[in-house]
Amino acid sequence: MSMGTRTQRMMIQGCLSNMAEQNKTADVKSSNELLSPSELFKARTRSHKIPGRGQKDFIPSGSNEQEARLQQNLEEHWSLVLEERVERLGNLVKAVWIPSDRIVELQSPAGKFWQTMGFSVHGKQCLHPEEALYLMECGNLQVFYQDLPLSIQEGYERFLNSKTMSIQHYQVFGHLKRLGYVVNRFDPSSVPSQYERQLNIPLSRERSGRQLKRKRSHSPTHRTQEGPTTEGTEVKDRDGGKERMNPEAPPDMDETQMASQEDPSTSAQGVQGRSWWSKGGTPDLQPELPGQSQSSGSPRWDFRSLPFPDLGSRDKHRGSLASPDPCLLPEAVGSVGPCDVAPWLLRLNLWQGRMSRREQDQYRRDINQDREVQRCRNWAEYRKLQEKRSQLKRKNRPAHLWEGPVTPLHDPAQPCSTGELMDKINVLKPSRLLEGASRLKGSDEWRICFNVYQPDTVAEFKKSSPGKPYSRMCVCSFDGPVPDLRTLKVLAFQSGDIPVTYAVVDHGDISFYSFKDFQIPTDVLPQILNDNPALTAGLSLLDSRVYQKIQASGK
Amino acid sequence: MYAMATEGPEKTGEESAGAGTGIGGTRYDLEKETELRFEVDSGEKVQLELLTGLAEVFGSELNRNKKYTFGPGSKIAVFTWQGCSVALFGKTEVAYVSKDTPMLLYLNTHAALEQMRRQAERENERGPRVMVVGPTDVGKSTVCRLLLSYAVRLGRRPTLVELDVGQSAVSVPGTMSALCIERPADVEEGYSVQAPLVYHFGSTSPGTNIKLYNKLTSCLAEVFSQRCEVNRKASVGGCIINTCGWVKSSGYHALVHCASAFEVDVVLVLDQERLYNELKRDLPHFVRVVLLPKSGGVVERSKDCRRETRDEKIREYFYGFRSTSFFPHAFDVRFSDVRIYKIGAPSIPDSCLPLGMSQDDTQLKLVPVTPGRDLTHHVLSVSCADEGEDGTGGVRRGVLESPVCGFIVVTNVDTQAQVMTVLSPAPRPLPRHTLLIMDIRFIDLK
Repeated sequence: MSMGTRTQRMMIQGCLSNMAEQNKTADVKSSNELLSPSELFKARTRSHKIPGRGQKDFIPSGSNEQEARLQQNLEEHWSLVLEERVERLGNLVKAVWIPSDRIVELQSPAGKFWQTMGFSVHGKQCLHPEEALYLMECGNLQVFYQDLPLSIQEGYERFLNSKTMSIQHYQVFGHLKRLGYVVNRFDPSSVPSQYERQLNIPLSRERSGRQLKRKRSHSPTHRTQEGPTTEGTEVKDRDGGKERMNPEAPPDMDETQMASQEDPSTSAQGVQGRSWWSKGGTPDLQPELPGQSQSSGSPRWDFRSLPFPDLGSRDKHRGSLASPDPCLLPEAVGSVGPCDVAPWLLRLNLWQGRMSRREQDQYRRDINQDREVQRCRNWAEYRKLQEKRSQLKRKNRPAHLWEGPVTPLHDPAQPCSTGELMDKINVLKPSRLLEGASRLKGSDEWRICFNVYQPDTVAEFKKSSPGKPYSRMCVCSFDGPVPDLRTLKVLAFQSGDIPVTYAVVDHGDISFYSFKDFQIPTDVLPQILNDNPALTAGLSLLDSRVYQKIQASGK
Repeated sequence: MYAMATEGPEKTGEESAGAGTGIGGTRYDLEKETELRFEVDSGEKVQLELLTGLAEVFGSELNRNKKYTFGPGSKIAVFTWQGCSVALFGKTEVAYVSKDTPMLLYLNTHAALEQMRRQAERENERGPRVMVVGPTDVGKSTVCRLLLSYAVRLGRRPTLVELDVGQSAVSVPGTMSALCIERPADVEEGYSVQAPLVYHFGSTSPGTNIKLYNKLTSCLAEVFSQRCEVNRKASVGGCIINTCGWVKSSGYHALVHCASAFEVDVVLVLDQERLYNELKRDLPHFVRVVLLPKSGGVVERSKDCRRETRDEKIREYFYGFRSTSFFPHAFDVRFSDVRIYKIGAPSIPDSCLPLGMSQDDTQLKLVPVTPGRDLTHHVLSVSCADEGEDGTGGVRRGVLESPVCGFIVVTNVDTQAQVMTVLSPAPRPLPRHTLLIMDIRFIDLK
């Protein structure tokens, strides 16, 4: 295995520049040529160890000695790449390339690789093109197309195109495979939704996978059918949660909502209401009109015609109060007689109480003697007037500080905790990777390509229930753009709790990057100050030296 | 102590007739427009039955031949418009019939309000908004209940706005609430509380945090106005605002503020002429201020009595009326799972402020409370406030303005394990994690 892996690395590193030679080796191999025993023996005993590469390859010091060494390494490399590779024909699994489906169908029983690679369709064992290519390079698979075996170069040409997978993706795939990871394609629909994650229900993919094995048929609609039902239970759950503890919703909620839906028509109703007013006297037709608009010249209620039994205004009720109209009373009350007010007048609490001078001053004036107040017809107008007046009065703050375009960051009259003060100073707000990600829409340019599982799980790995991936892989190139924040957010959100790794391909070399949340620590005051807002507020005005003193004494 | 006692109540109870009809009951024959007042001794209970005619208790009609039970401490007045006869069973502390009731005045007030509602309905306007004010123990709550019951009996849907933080008829004490009234209050149980809007105030006196009191008044007014805009019936029904008995200095200003916030049309002043004159002077001319007498039957309540009523109200929240209908849950809550706040920070001495500055908003500050043993027996409100995703900064905004979705009582605090045991009307988990502490304590005995 290890030898195969090494050869493989050689192959991939040389693949771009070395196609011609490879072509030749492949051709030789594919022509079913039988090798002589001596040749076979040679192939077995030869060292396949590829010379290691290091920093010196990229940053040479320029000395002759080093240059010679590097050159020697390179030649060794070339010679190894040039070498013909020998495999036992019986060990090769036969397969056929089906371009229309972009899959490779196995013709003979699969090898050990079947544990981690490939899939079944209608009872047939198939491989994805990248898997087939990788196996070809490992010397495990021989792919035929139109009854002729494909060379590795042909494999590259046919298997890797815009419809299947780019060369960069394949390079990442191969690299990870050679390191022992289990890699398979990422299917966005396999990611459980936020709600599914919360409930910790088994992955729907696992379920559908099992079903696939039983029925031997792929059912992509399975998941989409399931979607609405889970949503349904979600809604039900929430409703069930509402109990006695939630009187937040005002009564008649349904009515309220229905009415608010009709809100847009309010303006039209307003117009109608006014025309009704000018006609003067038909019963109301628009029961939904909010009764706020008052354009008439006098206050709304004519209290002279409303017979309130007011004992305060002596002049009016000398005698008795007329009996109220029975239709205004509840049925059971029936009609009642007039009411003699006089005895009640004697029984009022006339106690004036003791008033301090300040109170007397304050209450001396009747606000209704004010002409402007008299002119107000309703609360809205009256409040406007009050506001206008209070604005004239209010000038407490030092004007020079607060009236310019730049104002102090903190109003000392508003006590706040140190944490809040820190927040104010914090001009750049911290952001989290997942913040707001659910609202962003993904782009086609960036997508997650592979699920990667750790090598040590290979023994227990099952394709039908792969479990949680170790990481997910997004492939990009050094020549291409760097993923922006939006991409990072979208992909991180899509992946959920599994980290996304960015594999950046620089020709043959692959680097891996990942983005992680971190928080810059903020200096928060000790508990003693947090518990005492007065102290903190005072502190915000003092300089830090004083604060340190207080801190010391607090300890 | 009993105002009526001095007026020589005429006792028309005919024991002889009562003995003839009831089994140990006392029969009272009431004339037209009179009322039977009785109080129940502590540790006793009294049953009331209407034998003939029609009668009502605070606006709610009595059913004939049904026995109503009143627990210890009840102070009840049975009024009849056309005459009736009732029977009382059990030991009453005092029971007498009085001719002298201001019910006719109250009924006239209702008639005027109903006239306003008709006008509102006709003109597509909003109905009357009424504020009931007066010093303590003049029957404000009773007048509210009367007016609401009469309105509901005519098919209106008025809203009760309960601003009396000491003796709330809707929720536990220390809260300010609004309740849509859809049926007359039950003779025994009071209002049927369904989906009230409740705000946390945290104390039994508005004086402890008058700014918060005014702010919550404005909040309630705003929500009520929004509701009126979309619900025509609620708009026509108007509202009846019950206020605190504190009518001096800040308390008085709170009343004026409330009138302005709710844009009240009518203010009913009970009993005190001075308050009447002050309000006439300080409210604009388009507000009708009406002075009404208090009923002679109103009884002064002692401090102990008020405390007991408060306790009973909290018990009723958890266990239901007469501790029978609800079964609360007890469970542990970890300190780390909840955030407990107190509203109102201590003020800074002026010497700490720059010259010419004054602090304004300490009373509306949220102060985090470190859970400790002193939390035991306190009532906590579970705030409906949206909890920010990160749980650090976002949560503070809107806690004041958010209604309360329920209450819990801390029954035990374990500082070692960092958990507290709470009594809750619903099983765990708590629906929200922002808790507001009240000054009010409740010891869960019985």
